[in-house]
Order: sequence, then C-alpha cells, then structure tokens
Amino acid sequence: MRIGVFICHCGSNIAGTVDCESVAELASGFPEVVYSTDSMYTCSEPGQEGIITAIHEQKLDGVVVASCTPRMHEPTFRRAVERAGLNRYMFEMANIREHVSWIGKDKEHNTNKAADLVLMAVEKLRRNRPLVPKSFETIKRVLVIGGGVAGIQAALDCADGGLDVVMVERDQSIGGKMAKLDKTFPTIDCSSCVLGPKMVDIAQHEKITLHTCAEIEAVSGYVGNFSVTIRRRATYVDWTKCTGCGVCTEKCPSKRSPDVFNEFMGTTTAINIPFPQAIPKKAAINPATCTMIQKGKCGVCAKVCPVGCIDYEQQDELINVDVGAIVVATGYDLFDWHKYPQYGEGRYPDVITSLQYERLLSASGPTGGHIKRPSDGKEPKNVVFIQCVGSRDRSVDRPYCSGFCCMYTAKQAILTKDHIPDSQSYVFYMDIRAPGKGYDEFTRRAMEEYGAQYVRGRVAMIYPHGEQLMVRGADTLAGTQVEVPADLVVLATGVEAAQGAVKLGETLRVVPDQYGFFVESHPKLKPVETNTAGVYLAGACQGPKDIPTSVGQGSAAAAKALGLLSKERLESDPAVSKVNLSRCVGCQKCIGTCPFGAIKAITDRQGKLKAEVIETVCQGCGICTVTCPQGAIQLEHFTDNQILAEVNALCPPKMNASFE
Amino acid sequence: MSQLEELKAAIRGHLDSLDCVIGWEQGYDPLHATPLFIRNESDLERLSISPLAVHNPATYATGFAGKKIGMVVRGCHSRSIIELLNEKLIERENVVLFGLCCDGVVSQRKIRTALPADPGFVEAVEIGDDALHITLAGEKTTIKLQDVLADKCRICAYPDPLLADVLIGNKHDSRPEETLACQEAFEAKPNAEKFTFWQDTMSRCIRCYACRNVCPMCVCQDYCIAASRDPLWMSQENSPAENFMFQMIHVSHLTGRCTECGECERACPVDIPLMLLRRYMNKQVQEVFGHQAGTSLDKTPPLLTFQVEEARIKERDW
Ligand SMILES: Cc1cc2nc3c(=O)[nH]c(=O)nc-3n(C[C@H](O)[C@H](O)[C@H](O)COP(=O)(O)OP(=O)(O)OC[C@H]3O[C@@H](n4cnc5c(N)ncnc54)[C@H](O)[C@@H]3O)c2cc1C
Ligand code: SF4
Ligand code: SF4
Ligand code: SF4
Ligand code: SF4
Repeated sequence: MRIGVFICHCGSNIAGTVDCESVAELASGFPEVVYSTDSMYTCSEPGQEGIITAIHEQKLDGVVVASCTPRMHEPTFRRAVERAGLNRYMFEMANIREHVSWIGKDKEHNTNKAADLVLMAVEKLRRNRPLVPKSFETIKRVLVIGGGVAGIQAALDCADGGLDVVMVERDQSIGGKMAKLDKTFPTIDCSSCVLGPKMVDIAQHEKITLHTCAEIEAVSGYVGNFSVTIRRRATYVDWTKCTGCGVCTEKCPSKRSPDVFNEFMGTTTAINIPFPQAIPKKAAINPATCTMIQKGKCGVCAKVCPVGCIDYEQQDELINVDVGAIVVATGYDLFDWHKYPQYGEGRYPDVITSLQYERLLSASGPTGGHIKRPSDGKEPKNVVFIQCVGSRDRSVDRPYCSGFCCMYTAKQAILTKDHIPDSQSYVFYMDIRAPGKGYDEFTRRAMEEYGAQYVRGRVAMIYPHGEQLMVRGADTLAGTQVEVPADLVVLATGVEAAQGAVKLGETLRVVPDQYGFFVESHPKLKPVETNTAGVYLAGACQGPKDIPTSVGQGSAAAAKALGLLSKERLESDPAVSKVNLSRCVGCQKCIGTCPFGAIKAITDRQGKLKAEVIETVCQGCGICTVTCPQGAIQLEHFTDNQILAEVNALCPPKMNASFE
Repeated sequence: MSQLEELKAAIRGHLDSLDCVIGWEQGYDPLHATPLFIRNESDLERLSISPLAVHNPATYATGFAGKKIGMVVRGCHSRSIIELLNEKLIERENVVLFGLCCDGVVSQRKIRTALPADPGFVEAVEIGDDALHITLAGEKTTIKLQDVLADKCRICAYPDPLLADVLIGNKHDSRPEETLACQEAFEAKPNAEKFTFWQDTMSRCIRCYACRNVCPMCVCQDYCIAASRDPLWMSQENSPAENFMFQMIHVSHLTGRCTECGECERACPVDIPLMLLRRYMNKQVQEVFGHQAGTSLDKTPPLLTFQVEEARIKERDW
C-alpha cells in the first residue's frame, strides 16, 4: 500500500499543544507511509485539494487524516478521497483534537500520543478494503405516532410537502395534552382555538390517514422500507357510519366511566365522545363499563342511534402499512404525585394536579369554566401552587427539570385572578426558570400585575384545617417557616415519559433513557434524529418541551423525513456485519443478541444451518461480532483484525521467554 | 435389583430405538474408566457406573446431530444437556436421558497423591460403600471415598439430574458445602500474587486443547478462535501470555454457559487448576445476572440476549 498522512493544525486548536510537524515527521517512518505532511486547516478547500493532489502525484491508495472527531469531518474527507478516485473506505481518521490537544497540556506527551493515534490509524488502514454500498428504493409515506401538537405539526408538514401520512393515536381523539389546556403561555391565547384548526386539517387533508384508538403492534424493515402493523382497538361503533351526533351519549344509562379527558375529575357515560372538538368526532364504547358488553343487558345506544352504527361484537383490527420514515411524537405523562407523603397521598380532594386545574379553568371542562373545588364545589379564594412536584428531586428518581411548570404555574396564577378577582395565589417554588422569548416578562406579570405571592421554598406538609387546608413550608429567602391557608392546592406535577414509551422504543429500536424519554442521535447536532435511520423524534417524547418547541420539532422532524424521502433511492452503509459462511457453525447465538433483528438463519446447500445478515437492517452496532465465539461474523470496516491491529500498534506484543 | 441392573434394564428397553447410548466402562486399568458407546447387548454388559466413571457424556452430544441417542447422566451432566437444549444445539426428541442420582465421583489427582507410589497401572480396585481398596504392585491401599471426592462434587448443589427420562437411585435432600476452601484462599490473594501464580502455572500449558475438546459447551468444531488466523486473536506461540489469553477467551466464551462439570480441569494433562477461573466467572454471572447455566429449561444465557436495560445493572446511576 501507499499511504499518505495529513496532520491538521486546526489553527491553534491542535498545534497549540501538539507539535504537528514532528508528528508528520514521525509518521513518515510508519509502515507503508510514503507521504506525510501537516497543514493549517485540512478540512478547508485548499486542505482538501492538498489531499487530492497528493493522491494523484504520490499514487496513494490510502489516506490518514489526523484532526478532529470523525463525527465532524469524516464525511468531508471521505468525499475528498472519493473525488480523487479512491474508495471512500480507504480512509482513516485519527482524532488528535478532542482526544489529545483539548484534554492534555503537556506538549511532549501530546505529541507522542498524537503519533500513537496516527500509527493506530495507519495500521487499521493497512487492513481496510474498498467497500461498496447497495442502493434501494424508498416508500414515500410517513408514519406519525402520537397525535399531540408535535405529531400534528409533523403530519401536516409532511403532507403539505407531498408525502402520504399515516397517523396513529392511542386515545380516541388527537390533540394530546394541548387539547386539555385552557389558555397557553406566554400569550394567554385559547388553546383549542389555535389547536382546533390544525386538528381539523388532519381530518381533512387528503394525504393523511388517521387511526385513533390505535397503537403500533410491530415494526420490521429498515430506513425507506419499514413495514408496520397497527392494532386498532374495538370501539364497538362503526366509524364509517357514525356522524358524531351524540344522541347515544345523552341516553346511555351507565354513567360511571372514568372521565379520562377531564383528568378523572368526575365520570362520564360508557359510550362517549371525549370533547366537543374531538377529531375524529366519533363515539366509542368503554367495554369495562358498558352493561351490554359486560352483562348482555341494556342496548340503549343501539336503539337510539339514528344511523345504526353500534356493533357490540366489534373486534380489534390489525392494519398493515409500508412506510419510508417514522416520526415518533408520543409526548409525555405526568408524574404520580401520590408517592409524596407530604401532599397527603390523595387523602385530600382539594389537592389536585396542574392538568386537572386546566380542566377546571376550561369552558369545556367539567365545571363549565367556573373554578369550583372538588370537595364541596365552592369557589376557592386562596389558591396555593406547589412547583417541582416530581421534578428536580433525586429522592423520587426524577432529578431533571420538567421545563414548562414554572411557566404554566404563572399562567394559572394569572388565570385564577381573571376568574376570581378577589382571590389570592401563592406559589411555592425552587427557582423560576423562564428562558424563552417573553417568558421572564410573563412570570413577572404574574407577580407584579396579578399579585401572585411567590415563596421560595419546599412544602413540608399539608394538613386539614377546618374547611381549608394548611400548607406548611419554608421561606428560604426570609429564613422562616410559613403557613398558608388554602382552599385549593394545585401541584405542578413533573413530566415523565408517556406510558408504554419503553415498549414502543423496543418495537422501533429507539433507545429510551433511564426515564423513558427517547434518546436523540446527537444532543446538539442531531436533535430530532435517532440512532435508527429513518426514525425521527418530535415533541415531549424526547424530553420535557413546551408547545413552541414541540411544534418546532414537529416541523424539524418533517423536514428530515421529507429530505430523506426526496431521494428516489437510498444507499445502505456497507459497514455492516457479514458472516464468513465457512466459519459459521450455525449456533445462532448472534441471532439472539442482535437488537435490530438483522440476522436470520439459513440452510446452506448441504442443509447446514448458517447465519445471514440482512444488510439493509444491520445498523453496524457490532454486538453479534462479540457474541460469535469463533469470530465467524465480522463487522466490515471494523473487523477483529482491524481492531486488533490498532491495539497491537499501541501495545506491541512482546516475544516471550520461550523464544530465548 | 442393584442400581446398575436397574439402569441396564432401562437402557435395554430403549436400545432398539436409539443409535447408541453413552455410558462408561473400565478403561486401561481397573482404576480408570472410559466412555462406552452402547450399541448392542454385549456392549451393555460392560457398563459401569462406579464413582470412577467421571466423563461428561454431554461432550459427545452435538457430534451425534440428527441421530437419536441415549446418555447416562449425573447431576452436573444433566446441566450441560439442559444448556445445550437451551442453546438449541441439540433437540429434546433426539435424546433419552438415563439419570443417576449421584453421590459424587473421584478425582484421579487426589487418588494419585493418596497412593504410596505412582499408580502407573493398578492391578485391582474394590469399591466399597465409602472406600476404595486399590491393589498396586501387590500392595493393597484403602482410601476413603470422601477424601478423594472431586472438588466439584463437594460443592455440587445438583447431585440429582435436573432433567431425565428415567431416574435411578435415591434423591438427595442434604445441601452440600457452600464454598471451597481452595477457591476462597485463591481469590483472597493480592493481584500481584495471582499474577505470578498464573504466570508460573500457564508456562506449563502445552496448548493441547484437551480442556477445550472435553468441554461440552465448546461447540465450535474445527473453527475455534484459538486456531484461526482471521480473526487472529492469538498466535500459536507457547508462552504464558498467549496460553493465558486462550484461557481468558475460553472463560469468556463460557460466560453464563459453563455448567461446572469440571471436565476441563480433569482433562488437563499438566494439572492446571482451570476451575479457579471458571468458578470465579460463574460466581460473577450469578451475582450480576442471577443466572446459573443449565439449571432450568428455556433460560438463555445473559450474554446471548440483548436487553436495552439490564434489570440488575444500573448503568446510568445519578
Ligand atoms: C398543566 C399543563 C399546562 C401546560 N400549559 C402550557 C402552555 O400554556 N403553553 C405551552 O407552551 N405548553 C404548555 N404545557 C406543555 C404542553 O402540554 C406540551 O408542550 C405539549 O403538549 C407537548 O406536545 P406533544 O405532542 O409532544 O405531546 P402530547 O401533548 O403529550 O401528545 C402526545 C400524543 O401521543 C399519544 N400517544 C402516547 N403514546 C402513544 C403510543 N404509544 N401510541 C400512539 N399514540 C401515543 C398521546 O395519546 C398524545 O395524544 C402545559 C403542560 C401542562 C402539564
Ligand atoms: S454466532 Fe457465529 S457461528 Fe453462531 S450462527 Fe452466528 S455467525 Fe454463525
Ligand atoms: S468450562 Fe470446564 S467446567 Fe465449564 S462446562 Fe466446560 S468443561 Fe465443564
Ligand atoms: S474456546 Fe471459544 S472458540 Fe474455542 S471452541 Fe470453545 S467456545 Fe469455541
Ligand atoms: S488442557 Fe491444560 S495444557 Fe491443554 S490447553 Fe488446556 S490448560 Fe493447556
């Protein structure tokens, strides 16, 4: 081989603490290196031209660049060597910036370490071979999972961009949490007035197919070619006929269904349309409380339905669709505050969650927009808000900040004053986090214009006090204990991953973090991508996010999907696993460990069991290669021998006493 | 009817439907047994199940792929069979298991030290209830069975086969010793001392691969990584480092799969205490994953599955 080595100064980023000239000098003595030089900015136009010229003039057939992290510029340099006529895999990168110059101060040590890393890259490159990607067609349809505001935005953008969209929502209606909100910060505009039209667009867009009461059962395939099975729960109502007239819900005698939409504040009928603006506006029966389904008695809804769409025998339905990309927008759920003894663990009916309070504020809520406390229906005068319930608290394993609670608490304090002018709000808080545009001004307004009393400190206990509740806490700024009598206590319950997120992650092969939020590909540079190609994230399923950010992410995910599927054909990464059939003994260990289901068992011509990698599904994670005892399955571009060559370059094997 | 006769009768009943039944017979002298492949009535007559009969028949199981065979198994052997079944390396309908409730087998190494002279070739062995009477060069020595019991048997928690079609003998209810003094003593040593120990001990290894060949779970046939150039994990150089490397690879390939049958150590011609490594790894697997190879059907060894989050490993503790 004829190898060329290029040591980058990265201005002073590397050259500041690494003697780049010496590294280049040392590298010229490495095996098969015929050309070695250093340059100021290797990634710049002249830097790349330097590589190309050297490849031509020196007849190089492999290139090593020692510079920054490959996550930054590996694609850049691969394209450069390709332009010069080499295969893009005949290129190796040594990271002497993040791994050397930025973390060590001692120039001599740094220089030696940089030279070691270059030697490793050279040794690896000597064992590289050209790899050629395969190409395949893409399906121009997107699956959006979750119909909250993030999913809605992603679906509309994809559909407007010309893609077919299939939206799958677990609840009966789309809208997510935003549909339950009364007004939204920081502008106090009506939530359903801004969300409603978008929900209608979903229903009416000719490119969007909506499945509600539905979940993802299985996903197979790969980027550009997923095949998805959707399970649609039985609703016991034929939605092709149902007009949403609501006669059935008026007549249903079984009124003990938990009212999920109103956050369990009261009950509703067994056949139900969750809220007036529901999309789709169709009725569905809760089989657990329907006496016809439970006991075979009643049948009132079937009698009153003018179009005859009630079907007590309806079964779950499995729907199969093929899609090219997937947007996950499953949002969040609220932390179960009952774990806290200090808030009464549910003993006091007038301690409610923030989302329940939104329903009390909402004109479409259970109290018609009049704030009435649950215990006796009286209008509260003193309302105490407690922030960070299940946020920033290691003791309940929720160390993270839920992001939007400071803001919505301020909003709720403002709205309380609007609804009940002679009321007084108190807010127990730890810190006020209001970094968005107009956000800090908003929280100040709550304090200054609306007179909300902010008390910095944790609440130690709530106890009954006549008709009221007494809230005892610390005021850490005044350094005193405070006791505030409350007619109503609203807990700003923290955010956690949507129920079932971990299981969905397994189906989609998207890794959730320890709290169940999906992990993005790169926290800064790839915020909506995941490590599974073709699967994108939008909204609060990736971490707590308010509406503006969720909507922004919905559009970003849509842009990614549109970009991906704008290509007629996709190339698969050839750096995937490959089975050496003559070494494989068909033990199938690799099949069991592959997290992507990318390996299947085949029988060879002699009828022997063997493993085979489905190239387009393999993500190149390498788990199979460490599983196979005899090394029959190898990750192309990262074979055992290539890695061992790097290790041996670092710690050369010593000949031992037996050869004395 | 003696246990041997009972067993023979059971095997006789299956002989016609099986390609062969694996048991033991006397080897080159009365002190040593050797595996016996029973294909007919006269083979069956030579069957022996004394405490000298040590070999793990599971080692041969994968070699009979596609054939129907029977095996006489002790507790530890049945664990190997279960592990092979769990890894789908053999099929349940292709094996008939004749289980022996086992009181333990001998360690030839311990007998060797207990005898007055090198055993070379013994003339006669009489096996009593709790002692062996060995005649060597005309002289009779009596050794208590308890004194020469194999280490694995002293701590064996599964003397009765965990899987068997026919069960011979009486089930045990007493629990064995929990720990092995030699293992504990070794693990308590400082690392530097352990290092010198292995440096020393591994220089004896002649890389005969007897340990690997006898291991029931080493099913890689001719493709063992130890003999491969691509990938080239180790050279053929016979140095302590390379020899130890091979043992490390063997142990890691057996993670969560080793059934502690002790065959590797028994087979080693240069007395390398390989079980020190195996037992240590097994203990780790037990602690980290709560897994013990071959103790229940339908359990996959932890390293042969993929889980996003392991139940017992807190990877991202705050
Ligand atoms: C009390 C309160 C007040 C708030 N007030 C404001 C405010 O004033 N302004 C503001 O900007 N933000 C506010 N927020 C935050 C706001 O609710 C979120 O930013 C927003 O809802 C996030 O949208 P999303 O689409 O990501 O998630 P969600 O709204 O949670 O939507 C997710 C959707 O996915 C569905 N889903 C979940 N799992 C599955 C599955 N497995 N399969 C199919 N579908 C599934 C759910 O049913 C849901 O419809 C408030 C939050 C709370 C708790
Ligand atoms: S683990 Fe190795 S030997 Fe076993 S099936 Fe996979 S590739 Fe073949
Ligand atoms: S490593 Fe040794 S003890 Fe373990 S299964 Fe193999 S032969 Fe038996
Ligand atoms: S040592 Fe490893 S590679 Fe060799 S036969 Fe055993 S399991 Fe297979
Ligand atoms: S049996 Fe003993 S000598 Fe042979 S390879 Fe194994 S450890 Fe080495």
